[in-house]
Amino acid sequence: MDNLVASNIRQRPTRTLLSVAGVALGVVLIVLNTGLVEGMLNDRIRRERGIGAEIQFGRDASLLTASSKNPVDVRYAERLRQIEGVKQVSPYALHVQAGNSGLGIELVEGIEFDSYSEITGIKIVEGRSIQADGEVLIDDYKAYHSKLTVGSEMQVFGNTMKVAGIYSPSAGSRIKVSLSELQKLLAAENKCFSILVKVADPNKQAEVQQRINEALPNNNVILTRELGMSAGREIPGIKGFVRAVMVLSVIVSALVILLAMYTTITERTREIGILKSLGASKGFIIGVIEKEALTISLIGVLVGLVISVLAAWVLERATTLQLEFTWSWILRAGLIGLGAGALGALYPAIRAANKDAVQALSYE
Amino acid sequence: MDAILKTENLVMTYRVGKVDVNALRGVNLLVGRGEFISIMGPSGCGKSTMLHILGGLLKPTSGKVIVDGEDMAGMSDAQRTDTRRRKIGFVFQRFNLFPTLTAEGNLRLAEHIHGNGKKIVEEETRREVLRLLRLENKMRHKPLELSGGEQQRVAIARAIINRPAIILADEPTGNLDSENSEIVLEMLQKLNRELNQTIVMITHNPEAAAVATRTVHMRDGMIVGEK
Repeated sequence: MDNLVASNIRQRPTRTLLSVAGVALGVVLIVLNTGLVEGMLNDRIRRERGIGAEIQFGRDASLLTASSKNPVDVRYAERLRQIEGVKQVSPYALHVQAGNSGLGIELVEGIEFDSYSEITGIKIVEGRSIQADGEVLIDDYKAYHSKLTVGSEMQVFGNTMKVAGIYSPSAGSRIKVSLSELQKLLAAENKCFSILVKVADPNKQAEVQQRINEALPNNNVILTRELGMSAGREIPGIKGFVRAVMVLSVIVSALVILLAMYTTITERTREIGILKSLGASKGFIIGVIEKEALTISLIGVLVGLVISVLAAWVLERATTLQLEFTWSWILRAGLIGLGAGALGALYPAIRAANKDAVQALSYE
Repeated sequence: MDAILKTENLVMTYRVGKVDVNALRGVNLLVGRGEFISIMGPSGCGKSTMLHILGGLLKPTSGKVIVDGEDMAGMSDAQRTDTRRRKIGFVFQRFNLFPTLTAEGNLRLAEHIHGNGKKIVEEETRREVLRLLRLENKMRHKPLELSGGEQQRVAIARAIINRPAIILADEPTGNLDSENSEIVLEMLQKLNRELNQTIVMITHNPEAAAVATRTVHMRDGMIVGEK
């Protein structure tokens, strides 16, 4: 039986290749998309947690759900400074733009470098800080992956800006301009997205949070530690998106296998008649066809995984997108590929098993 | 006579559109264990239909088909398949080998189906069959690399490898030239004599029919004589 399955796969290379490609496509869809979602979320969470501020004032959501709305009045910064236990504050504005490579999105922060640097711990490792409008700072990751150096030009908010310096480590968004310039560009003078609050004693951050709430009621005052991993998973639409990708993958893989096996069964009508004349049961015939489909699907899963790894390698080098593959999703993609293959082959297999033996034997 | 195959008043009626076609009209046939019989008759006389019924590929409209003590006429499709797997070996006019498998692969597949995945054919039996059919050196070849005669010998080996109660041969020399026909008929005769294999063979060819121990003549769905 194994011999029959292997010889059938070898004998029809075009059919086999197309089927493998169909299953591989489904696997790539799942692995790459979930890898992108995981990679981008985890990267944002890591950078957000490394922001250095124990409290964030005025944010109604995680940076992960950021938009270019900047609803907070920067004058709150002065009032926050006066609250007991607050060591430093730094307002920042936010702008969301399409990625320079045309893939994904990029966040641009408008910052006051000195206070921001004091809170986050970022340091200029090349070039200098922002001294004029039209200048940007980028982190070393962005510089490496986008092949930018001090003096390079890049598009921010549709304007060409010059890289004044490169900073490290990463914190918040990878591109920063001065707060005043971003406010101008966004026509949001005196506004910011949030105000970072560094407390004097991190062990007393909850008390400081309470004091801020009392002094400046009706604002969102959030502890950074609470912007945890779960926040990223709650982004509206993410679960639905991943589910849609999975369903799409199952449909694509199952349809390709169904069409391929259906065609094969028609071509092999006489062979099915021969199997029946040899006394093969319906279960045996279904087994042969399912085994063939599963073998093709397994090859498709492996090819899909290899393509995904290669595509991730290329994407990470060509763009600032980050992909993280997890074993759980790799396993799920593999099972979906195999399951879709088995499902797609089921109808042709049952059809073959139910063929009339005499008619099948006389099939030309 | 120790009957291995017996039909009683076998009737087969096909429905073609709104017309009933009587392919078999009460066939009574008795085949003894170890007999080699040929069935002759003009095209459309019901020979092939009868062979398919004897092999359990078709269910008769009425009557009995007793193969080695089991009445196949009353069986379900799955039961007939099981009986066919255990007791019947088919040889076809067009060889019907799997083109993607070698001769060895074709035999192994038949063994696999017969044994339900377990190896039950003894090596000695296997060697004996291959020796009788002079196939020892052909086992690694695929069907397209073999002559018609060799393909038919592989098909015979496949039919007999599991030592079935009956071999049903449907015009086994119909696609062969006279030289290869002679070889194949000689092989069938040898299997019948040396292994006491029961064979029922359909043929149009009187010379082929002559190698059998008995010839049954059919016409219009009935047996009209034998010698």
